Amino acid sequence: MARINPKFTKELQSYGAFDTNACYNCGNCTAVCSLSDEDNSFPRKMVRYSVLGLESEIESSLEPWLCYYCGDCSATCPREAEPGELMMSLRRYLTSKYDWTGLSGMLYKSLTTSIIAFVLLAIGVIWFAAEQNFMPEHLLHYGHYFEMLAIGGVFLVILLPNLFRMWNMVIRKPKVKVPISAYFKSFSELIVHMFTQKRTLGCDDSQTRWFEHLILVIGYLSLLFTTVFLDWFATDSSFVLILGYVESVIIFSVTFIFMIGRVNKKTQQSKNSHPSDWFFVIWLFLMGLSAFVVRLFIDLDILETNIWMYLIHLTVLVQWALIIVPFGKWTHFLYRSFAMYFEKLKSLSAS
Amino acid sequence: MKKKIGVYVCHCGGNISDYVDVEKVREEIEKDEGVFLAKTTMFACADSNQKDMVTDIAEKQLDGAVVASCSPKLHLLTFSAVAERAGLNKYNYIHANIREQASWAHSDDKVGATEKAIQIVKAAVAKVKRSNALEPIRVEATNAVAVVGAGVAGLRSAIELAESGSQVYLIEREFFVGGRVAQWDDLFVSNETGKELITRLYDKAMNHKNITLFTGAEIVENSGSVGNISLKVKVSPRHMKLNCDEGNLEKAIEVCPVEVPDKFNFNITTRKAIYHNFPGEYPQLPVIDMEHCTRCGECEKVCKNVDFSQQEEFLNIKVGSVLLATGYDPYEPKNDEFGYKTIDNVVTLPQFKRLVHYCDDKLVYKGKEVKNIAYIYCVGSRQVDGENKYCSRYCCTATIHAAITAKKKYKEIYNFHFNRGIRTYGKQEVLYDESSRMGDIYLQSFEDHPPVVSKVGDKTMVTIKDILTADKTLEVEADLVVLVTGMVPRQDNSIGSLLKVPKGRDNFFNEIHMKLRPVETVIDGVTIAGASQGPKNIMESMNSSLAAATKSFSLIAAGELALSPTIAKIDADNCEWCGKCDDACPFSALTKTDVNGKQVAVVNEAVCKGCGMCMPVCPSNAIELIGYTDDQIESMIDALVSTH
Repeated sequence: MARINPKFTKELQSYGAFDTNACYNCGNCTAVCSLSDEDNSFPRKMVRYSVLGLESEIESSLEPWLCYYCGDCSATCPREAEPGELMMSLRRYLTSKYDWTGLSGMLYKSLTTSIIAFVLLAIGVIWFAAEQNFMPEHLLHYGHYFEMLAIGGVFLVILLPNLFRMWNMVIRKPKVKVPISAYFKSFSELIVHMFTQKRTLGCDDSQTRWFEHLILVIGYLSLLFTTVFLDWFATDSSFVLILGYVESVIIFSVTFIFMIGRVNKKTQQSKNSHPSDWFFVIWLFLMGLSAFVVRLFIDLDILETNIWMYLIHLTVLVQWALIIVPFGKWTHFLYRSFAMYFEKLKSLSAS
Repeated sequence: MKKKIGVYVCHCGGNISDYVDVEKVREEIEKDEGVFLAKTTMFACADSNQKDMVTDIAEKQLDGAVVASCSPKLHLLTFSAVAERAGLNKYNYIHANIREQASWAHSDDKVGATEKAIQIVKAAVAKVKRSNALEPIRVEATNAVAVVGAGVAGLRSAIELAESGSQVYLIEREFFVGGRVAQWDDLFVSNETGKELITRLYDKAMNHKNITLFTGAEIVENSGSVGNISLKVKVSPRHMKLNCDEGNLEKAIEVCPVEVPDKFNFNITTRKAIYHNFPGEYPQLPVIDMEHCTRCGECEKVCKNVDFSQQEEFLNIKVGSVLLATGYDPYEPKNDEFGYKTIDNVVTLPQFKRLVHYCDDKLVYKGKEVKNIAYIYCVGSRQVDGENKYCSRYCCTATIHAAITAKKKYKEIYNFHFNRGIRTYGKQEVLYDESSRMGDIYLQSFEDHPPVVSKVGDKTMVTIKDILTADKTLEVEADLVVLVTGMVPRQDNSIGSLLKVPKGRDNFFNEIHMKLRPVETVIDGVTIAGASQGPKNIMESMNSSLAAATKSFSLIAAGELALSPTIAKIDADNCEWCGKCDDACPFSALTKTDVNGKQVAVVNEAVCKGCGMCMPVCPSNAIELIGYTDDQIESMIDALVSTH
């Protein structure tokens, strides 16, 4: 028995959902969806849960993560209820539900809060730099130090507990009985999906979207590796040097294409951009570009006289690592692949 | 006996001639002594043949005609008309069906089919030899109509009839006009209120000299037949000479010690024994409800126009036609049907609409504020076990309209529609759209799993196995449960019984033909309009009331009626009144009359339909059916069984 909560749609609208109530249950969205199948029938079911406000059903659902937003459902919806955008909003909603700090929800729901957070961090970086008398060497040193600390800290304090909470909501609470061995057997599922996002290939739309996304993910992860572990800004190896340049170019080029797409709104998935979508692409773009320019300034030997450039890069980096990665859209990288993992576990428990 | 009969045998392309040897039929028929000419024709119904027939009949002075072709259902009227054009009385034309009854039925036996065709045509010839020219029975018609019921349908019909030139007696059983529509506020689509519609119609009706309105009036006796119907009308007194002077009415109502449930508000409020349903109601003259009045005299002290001496009156009126627009009753749920009368916050849709009318800034029922409203659809309609199998048509739209009204009028209202499929047909679909976009929640179940209303502690819960959510069981905590009750026929069907108007399986008044004759009844001169015939919304009621008005008017407009002459005829010499014919007659067309000191049956020509039910029950064989006399039918049987 589930209790209906009509106030939920209002809540969901603050995450970006459109006119969900317009739905008259025709089911076209599910019929056209190329990823929906008998075991995981969506998006209609999620639309219905949202209209009825069945929060516990939504919290235990993996469907929002199994949707890769080709937009066919929104394009064919006779009521223009934007089911695709609803699935997107549910992903934001679930991200907030998984997040133990509650900050995700605050940032998703309020643009002002997000801007304040970005500004505060920028002030923090500049204040810190002033403390260091804007000494390039110190700043570069602490910058590198921060990167390593942020990766470990954010993962251990925020992301790991949140993944545990996700597991709790979708596996433990709904009492899905999963044999321990299944966790190991299915592990490859997690890795494959994390690094390939191959499920996107199931979408009927153009597969360039998958390809662009794939090289962006690879470019991003390898730049992260190159800067943090190969210390790109201080390297002497010409291989590492060039590698870093290539990776940063990939990042700002692909994100530039994504930004143009969001401005032009030609595809269904770029029609509606939530502030969190904009933050994600812009900051990734700025990260790539600023890293590229900083390294260029180092190579041209003009960074010491133009330390402002590094300050920009550091600000973008800190905002990225402390807002977007733990509480923003970055998390979809983890939740999507873990959703595939948990889905596999559920299917093993059923059989 | 006629001696100049023309017979035409049709090939019907090959439909007949492929199996029946039409030439042989013609030859055989030609031998009959009464037959003057016999012809075959490729298509009897073709224009050229019709012209030839007219020429033959006129030039050769034929005294009877037979066409042997298809079913009379198809072309009897065609050839009757041919006969009339040629100057031959149409009752001297007889139709023989040798297609459905011979060629098509016996396509495997050509010889047999031909034999049968010959016998059929011979029978037709035998009949036409004995047929007589008949003229329609003409009855004088009174150009006046009694319209029963002064709701929206009755008022509209009355105006239409009056404007066409008929005298109209508008007879309303209640003391106020407007019927159900007066009970509603805003209406979809026009956003006018029911009261506004009624005001417009009432003003127009009252300004027309041809309309006489009787309120508190009922027809108690009826005699005569179409064109000449005598009605006895009982008019109950209001016990008020005039309206009270300014302000005194309110005082009179205030001092009245009697309080009874107010039927106008479906018993959610009470009224006094001296009352009007709402200020400004028509006619603007209050009433004293003598059933409950204690005659304490308090009202007389403040209002000098109270008059307890008024008496019932009986009036006799004469009309040509009666138009019934008696409306409907809302379905009254059974005890405990979805918690009705057993759970304190369960009301019907009409009650809810009146509740919304009376609550201004907060929706309050029985002292508690209402936020969550659960509407349960199809209560008393589309019943699986009960008798009301029909859909009441108006309720989906009315409910959604009421839900939207409540949501707009009060803050934080949540509507939950427990339905069995929404039927906001036609233009009304926009309401469904509006309501769902406003956030109303629709939950649906099949008839075998209706929602359940139950009391859990002090809370009222409505649960449903929602087919829109994969049969998940869902529940809503409802502050108010509204049972969407459909339309049922008026509980008091005395007018229907009095006029013998047949009822359909749904117990509403029944039309002759649902599609082709939708406002006439088998009782000549009685037409039906509005929801008395079955569930209708206001628009549909208007359509049917205009149709019924036109139909009633067309019956009587010419001042006389031409009725079919093929009716029963009593041989007074043979008749010894036994009453058996009267018992058998479905139309009460026979009456016992004294003729030269003898009690015999007499046929009311305007009422008899010529159905023949009386003939076989007559022990003295004193009844003949004109156009189907014993002599004619026996001669046909002889022809059919004769060998040649």
